Amino acid sequence: MQPRLRAVPPKVFALVSVLAAAALVAAAAPAPELPPPAASTFTPDTPLSERVVAYQIEARLDTEKKTLEATETLTYRNRTGRPLDLFAFHLYLNAFQPQSTFMREVRQGSPDFEWKEKYRGSIEVTRLEVVGQGDLTGKMEFIQPDDGNPDDRTVFQVRLPRPVPHGGEVQFKIAFRAQLPEVLARTGYKRDFFMVGQWFPKVGVWWRGAWNCHQFHRNTEFFADFGTYDVKVTLPQGTVVGATGVEVGRQPNPDGTQTLAFRAEDVHDFVWTADPSFRVVEDSFTGGLGPVKIRLLMQPGHLAQAPRYLQALQGTLRLYDRWFGPYPYTQITVVDPPHGGFGAGGMEYPMLITASTTWWMPAGLLLPEIVVEHEFGHQYWYGMVATNEFEDAWLDEGINAYVETKVMAALYGEETSVLNLWGMTAGDARLSRLQYRAVPDTDPMTRSAYEFMSGGAYGTVTYAKTATVLRTLESLIGEETLRRALQTYFQRYRFTHPTEEDFLRTVEEVSGQNLGWFFDQAVRGTHVLDYQVRTLRSDRADWHEENPPEEKKGETLFRSFVVVHRKGDFIFPVEVEVKFDNGETVREHWDGRDRWVRFRYEKKARVVSAEIDPDHKVWLDTNLFNNSRTRESHRRATRKLAQYWLFLTQFLAQWLAWLA
Amino acid sequence: MVVAGARLVWRRQRVLWWVYGVNLLLALPAALRASMSFGGVLNSSLAAERLVKGFDLTAFIELLAQPEVSPAQLLMGSFVFSFLFFVFFLFATGGVLEAYRRDQSLGAGEFFAACGGFFWRFVRLLLFLLIALVPVGILAGLLSRVSGRLASDSPREMLGFWVELGGFLLLWVLLVAIRLWFDLAQVRAVAEGERAMRRTLWRALKLTAANFGSLFWLYLRITLVAWAGLALAAWVWVKFVPAESVGLSFLLGQAVVLLWLATRVWQRASETLWYQRRFPPAPPASAPSA
Repeated sequence: MQPRLRAVPPKVFALVSVLAAAALVAAAAPAPELPPPAASTFTPDTPLSERVVAYQIEARLDTEKKTLEATETLTYRNRTGRPLDLFAFHLYLNAFQPQSTFMREVRQGSPDFEWKEKYRGSIEVTRLEVVGQGDLTGKMEFIQPDDGNPDDRTVFQVRLPRPVPHGGEVQFKIAFRAQLPEVLARTGYKRDFFMVGQWFPKVGVWWRGAWNCHQFHRNTEFFADFGTYDVKVTLPQGTVVGATGVEVGRQPNPDGTQTLAFRAEDVHDFVWTADPSFRVVEDSFTGGLGPVKIRLLMQPGHLAQAPRYLQALQGTLRLYDRWFGPYPYTQITVVDPPHGGFGAGGMEYPMLITASTTWWMPAGLLLPEIVVEHEFGHQYWYGMVATNEFEDAWLDEGINAYVETKVMAALYGEETSVLNLWGMTAGDARLSRLQYRAVPDTDPMTRSAYEFMSGGAYGTVTYAKTATVLRTLESLIGEETLRRALQTYFQRYRFTHPTEEDFLRTVEEVSGQNLGWFFDQAVRGTHVLDYQVRTLRSDRADWHEENPPEEKKGETLFRSFVVVHRKGDFIFPVEVEVKFDNGETVREHWDGRDRWVRFRYEKKARVVSAEIDPDHKVWLDTNLFNNSRTRESHRRATRKLAQYWLFLTQFLAQWLAWLA
Repeated sequence: MVVAGARLVWRRQRVLWWVYGVNLLLALPAALRASMSFGGVLNSSLAAERLVKGFDLTAFIELLAQPEVSPAQLLMGSFVFSFLFFVFFLFATGGVLEAYRRDQSLGAGEFFAACGGFFWRFVRLLLFLLIALVPVGILAGLLSRVSGRLASDSPREMLGFWVELGGFLLLWVLLVAIRLWFDLAQVRAVAEGERAMRRTLWRALKLTAANFGSLFWLYLRITLVAWAGLALAAWVWVKFVPAESVGLSFLLGQAVVLLWLATRVWQRASETLWYQRRFPPAPPASAPSA
């Protein structure tokens, strides 16, 4: 990544500063007991996950018709502790139909959205056989567990004649055909580009004593069991292919096609992409478990930006490796979607992520870097710590958004990690906070993704609010402690399906604090945090005298008071820093329980200023401008902005005068 | 002609200073309103520092979201004052062109008499201009749709951009042609004391069409000076003006505004000279011999 402010030392300076500060903090803090290093639990012969499922899929892509013909063999290992005779499957591609729940929700959120036939996608199971139990195609039944929409065909269930005992296995042999939509919601085609995600019949997750197999919603992502995938894809020769896992075979066919074989282990999804235009850029990263191959599939027009992707990815790998544990897979593929195909951009799949950029992206606008960082972060928060994205979206998107702000700050500077262009700056964490304050109180973070008030509320609360909440949590337990909590959470729950309680309990355990009061308001509640310095005054103690002596600095006595007001309903302890004109500074602590507090002083000095949260740690405060008050007015910022406004008005006026 | 036009602007620089002064004066209330609005939030807040030492975009957006600040009202204020300046400029054009035609300082009475004398004629011309701009607007809309579709659907990512750029250049040439046409109509109306605006427009159209190359080149060179000045000022601002410096930033901004206004009246002066060279004013009639 190019430096964003050329006059200032580039991000190396910021990175070194942040790492040095982190090292100092780490050195000062007592070292708590940590779980064993992640690397020690990974051995080549031991599966990383429970491997509930094993998929073998052979698919043929018709690049003209944009269709797939495929067969799938799913081996399901019953680890539920009870016999199973009912199985639920996702058919995600059926979401791309006008009467589906997904499309209804799209239309509800965007009344201007117009249905076009090119958006149609579908998946049809032409045969479903259970080995040893016969053809059950006729017993398939579409169900709509979330909203009862009879036109939604994104989930089906099938009852087996004989149950599968606990510890036993069952094998499904499925034939299906799929129609891909023009790229929409992370899957589909654009010209010769194919992003084939959520494309095969996928069994749900037996979770909390039932099948967890939600319909596909506008706001929801996915949830699946870990396992292995052996996938063969047949498509025209000359097409460059990327996929979850690693390529294990390639064979040209006489009909001008090629068949590529991929194998992925300990993942819970499989995606693949194909485009004859891809340019492959390869590099590597050496982490705690050895080298990781980095494979960028770039659009030709974006090749100049490959170094930006690479630098962001390698920096992210390094920090994740150091902060949480090593990336256990041997490869990561980054897909750069073509123009017009941005619907496929910014998405995570195991071992494969999609990025997003344009040919004109200026170096000072770090959107490609943020997307790569964020999507790679999902390898940990979704890929390995496989929370339920339908019901607990904040656990993957939100935690990931928080870590994104930390990684981007470490790599590109806290205040310049999104924008550093023409004198303007914006930091990722501040941008998250800004997003959050736009919709601070509509939904709790713990709400199921498909039940939020709107798509905007879902995005804001799940991503931005969670990041802001965790930033604020740092002020309570310390940045390093929160990082250790996340490390513990990752190492304890990777390759499993943890819940909200698992995460919150881990934070409390590692911090040694009871944080229920905070989680109740910030995580489970919709409380709004806004403190203000309402009043600040200094009066001479001898104000009542008829002819008081002339005021003398350091001799005249003043009675001063500062009133701090909790405007919002979020109760949070805060520090208040009061400065006096003799250079003295007083720090007050207020638990915030009452609506307001008055601090009184009797000193031979006037109050100069009062500031709530002087260390700027309470990111949840929705208004930072009222957090402080100065006794005397200072107009530097106002003058500067007014002067800009003057220029813009003059310029606008003279443009308009062109018509005269 | 361009150099002669610049000299004419320099000789009659009082015209330029007047126009600039009115521009500044009309913009001041808008800035004052913004100042009061921003000041209510910033003047007693330590968080304002984020906007002093640099320009934190998130702080600015948060500022705009404060109840004390209404961006819509601030923008409306700027638009109102811009519109007033536009009306003033339309009014003053008659006087400006008369001053350039006669190449002599006009007294206030003469200047405003010319302004008033041509104002309603120029209002009529403006209505015709707006009609002439309608097809350009339609073309711009079409161009935007076509380039947007190409940008999304064409296998070549840059195609949409190049189409948009090429189309934009064509539209710009078209706009300049229309502006030249109406500029010449105004110059002719002043030079000939013409009252029939449709006839003036028709003659100006023929004149513009017949001499488009030379007129366009004249207009283009002065326009390039304006854009080069803007680019230079932006570079100086980013590179050399400290973020917290209000004075330097103000001076630079005013220099840009002055330059842009100067280039616009420079175009008018050059067009006046061009017209006079082509249609020399009739010499004053000699006194009949006794």
